[in-house]
Amino acid sequence: MDYIQLTPQDREAMLRTIGVNKVEDLYYSLPEEYRLKEALKLSGLPTPKSELELQRELAEMAASNRPAAAGACFLGGGAYDHFIPTAVDALAHNGTFTTAYTPYQAEASQGSLQAFFEFQTQVCRISGLDVANASLYEGATASAEAVMMALNATGKRRVLVADSVHPHYKAVISTYLSDLPAQYISIPLKDGVVDGQALSKLLEEGRGDTACVVIQSPNVFGLIEDWTAHFNTTHQSQTPDGQPGEALAVAIYNPTATGLLKRPGDCGADIAAADGQPLGIPLQFGGPYLGLFSARQSLLRRMPGRLVGQTVDVNGKRGYCLTLQTREQHIRGAKATSNVCTNQGLLALRATIYMSAMGPQGLREVATQCFHKAHYAAQQIAALPGYSLAYSGEFFHEFVVNTPVPAQKIIDAGRARNIQPGLSCRKLGIGSENQLLIAVTEKRTRKQIDALVSLLKESR
Amino acid sequence: MNQILPGNQLAQGIVPSIFDISSPGARATDLPALDVPETALPASLLADQPPALPEVGQLDLVRHYTHLSQRNFSVDANFYPLGSCTMKYNPKINEAAAAMPGFTGLHPLQDDADVQGALKMLYDTRLWLAEIAGLHEVSLQPCAGAHGEYAALKVIRAYFNDPKGGNQPNRKTVLAPDTAHGTNPASCAMCGANVVKVPSKDGMVDLDALRSLVNEDTAALMITNPNTAGIFDGTITEIAKILHDAGALLYLDGANMNAIVGVSRPGDFGVDIMHYNTHKTFSTPHGCGGPGAGPIAVRDFLAPYLPVPQVQKAADGTYYLEHDREKTIGKVRSFAGQFGVLLRCWAYIAACGGEGLRNVAQTAVLNANYLGARLRSRFATPYFDPGANKFCAHEFITVPKDLLAKGVTLIDIAKRLIDYGIHPPTMHWPVHDCLMVEPTETESRATLDRFVDVMLQIAEEIENDTRTVNEAPHRAPVRRLDEVAAARTPVLTHKR
Repeated sequence: MDYIQLTPQDREAMLRTIGVNKVEDLYYSLPEEYRLKEALKLSGLPTPKSELELQRELAEMAASNRPAAAGACFLGGGAYDHFIPTAVDALAHNGTFTTAYTPYQAEASQGSLQAFFEFQTQVCRISGLDVANASLYEGATASAEAVMMALNATGKRRVLVADSVHPHYKAVISTYLSDLPAQYISIPLKDGVVDGQALSKLLEEGRGDTACVVIQSPNVFGLIEDWTAHFNTTHQSQTPDGQPGEALAVAIYNPTATGLLKRPGDCGADIAAADGQPLGIPLQFGGPYLGLFSARQSLLRRMPGRLVGQTVDVNGKRGYCLTLQTREQHIRGAKATSNVCTNQGLLALRATIYMSAMGPQGLREVATQCFHKAHYAAQQIAALPGYSLAYSGEFFHEFVVNTPVPAQKIIDAGRARNIQPGLSCRKLGIGSENQLLIAVTEKRTRKQIDALVSLLKESR
Repeated sequence: MNQILPGNQLAQGIVPSIFDISSPGARATDLPALDVPETALPASLLADQPPALPEVGQLDLVRHYTHLSQRNFSVDANFYPLGSCTMKYNPKINEAAAAMPGFTGLHPLQDDADVQGALKMLYDTRLWLAEIAGLHEVSLQPCAGAHGEYAALKVIRAYFNDPKGGNQPNRKTVLAPDTAHGTNPASCAMCGANVVKVPSKDGMVDLDALRSLVNEDTAALMITNPNTAGIFDGTITEIAKILHDAGALLYLDGANMNAIVGVSRPGDFGVDIMHYNTHKTFSTPHGCGGPGAGPIAVRDFLAPYLPVPQVQKAADGTYYLEHDREKTIGKVRSFAGQFGVLLRCWAYIAACGGEGLRNVAQTAVLNANYLGARLRSRFATPYFDPGANKFCAHEFITVPKDLLAKGVTLIDIAKRLIDYGIHPPTMHWPVHDCLMVEPTETESRATLDRFVDVMLQIAEEIENDTRTVNEAPHRAPVRRLDEVAAARTPVLTHKR
């Protein structure tokens, strides 16, 4: 099924209108030697699949997976298994949202524009900053865009990145910085969190050439970083002749945590980036997710991505349109603030509906339950012989435990009980093979947590 | 008190903001009671109060976003002849597939053994996209077309920087036609590459200009073919030769693949590296502006530099993610790509097969030529003249100078189309005062004919009732919006 509606009679009549005998004639400028003589042969696809065959094969493919979310899922590491209100799917699956184009024609796109305006407002409110865009791809690229914005805004070259940032995010920032006149510098850790003295020293060594300091909290170990102190240090840095250093503070945050903990803007961040996956987006094997991006008002004109603004029509009626487009690639080309064009509209819509459905009390409850359940699990596990918490700092909903046997052995043992006990810290590149990174969301029940504890207890 | 609007035609009224209807204490959902003992919260880390999100009941939540959904054009409801965007039908089965719990419930860091079905899908897609391109290897990592451009340019730079590869680190200049998508130069800038514009002549790359611009610092030419004027540039053999003789590479922006998918392979006409937009060619829905996916395809000598992870098939038939590749440019995003988008792409290709894809391209081209042939009496088509054997690919541009001389602007025509329930074509690009029309292959002849009738009627209106066109739209939820004021005094968030 190629979803084409023309009948053979239509084709004939249309060719007659154009004045050619066959459709091949229309490819007049495509040299003969480049035309395939027969239809493409695609691997493992001898014939097109009918809709029924496709339904069967998709169901088979889905059934040959073991979805973590179907069991007791304690996997985190940047993607979290949260409760999603039914209304999110019901509303976001509406074809008038899924099949709409980017809202360049404002009068034909008031629905998505208003939703993105609400989204921008919500992102400002959860991040505690002044302006937010209408989304970027996902958390790691949003973090890299934050760094790029800091480089452009300050004209400086050094980028200090906490070693406790998620390894994928570090890798993407590093990719974005290579080939540019910029330097990636790691901020060392002490007991799993940023070493404040080391940060001061790096800022001093930078002699006023630091573009930004990037700190994620909760960090990749689940630990809560002292943003307020470190961003204060960042803002107090100076050039050798005593001028303000102008380094910007970049916070990578978890949107769920803002229901309970201080927000990036409350702690002095100038730019905040996050993955919005926890806001009503299923795990779906890593994508599509959602990049959240917000900043202080003074950085508005350096923002990457689309911005929706409120305005009025000729009758004075309120309406919305894309705005400040002179920042963007389709107007500014090589001088644009970013190359981003297509972003994550439908995921931004999901997050908007999720945040509206949860409200302040709902988000607080999600965050609070995550906190209590994770701490309950951590206490039970730390009490097991052979197990201990790897770090002593405060954590939110994720923590590292030292295990008496390789983490992979526990993960393999969990499969039979439909438990995903956590991520191997070695595999994720954040620790040893005898360490497990465990995330506990509001979706986990006490029964599931107790089953996890039993699994660990028996894995010795 | 706000004005009360008559009737239930919300499409004509103002939908209040979700913040306007917020009512303290209202809840749209709930959670089970906490079933574990509480732990003392770390007081110094807590926010004073949770973020000021809206508070609404479930019915009001559902009504609000249902109302918003009614204020959008969409492919499901409207014809979108939007040049360069390929707004084709998005099959419903693909949406159903992407919503299956066997896919949505997969954590991206689960063991490969748990996700064999997902990896098989990715592996099939990887192979198929390479076969369609006529190139050797595909990376599914990039999040969208522009991100694919970025990743591909990084691959090109890595190749030239590699002492055992291209070994010419001086090659930092990228050429792009003056009709290129804005993302091309912007992506170059993000890679620290210099961009040099190549002028066009009669809608094609000016070969003499190209020859004079190519030199030992040239890394690549980024070309869109069929080009943005809607013509397959038949001098591609010569273009590829100019680049390759000078030691540079040919990059294809795959935005216009819908004209040639299954008919011609870019690798056969000299392309070394390209990106796809799955949300154009392979029917993944645009979702109000994303998510997309921008897989890149490369010749064998560029494959070592592709981003990680890469999906692979082991000798025993199992699938796995390869995380290390000696010369990789590294990661361009977290996890394993736009999985849910790529799944829809897989389902689309599987439904079409090789024959179907060829029919897709041929029908897209047929539909565009049909529209061009019927419209050109009133809407001039500078590069399209069937009588002179000059046809278009899957799209064409019209520059309706005669009509514009009668006191209307291109925007007026575009906005008037909205009144007839048709999304306006792309405007002012690649040349000023043009409409770029791309019907795609999935429209029926009746829809195409109606579009022509509407366009001709608008031409009549311009003659007889210019004001109606000047003041359009009349039947949209809002009239013409003041975009200048929006930019001058930006209001980007709801004010309390």
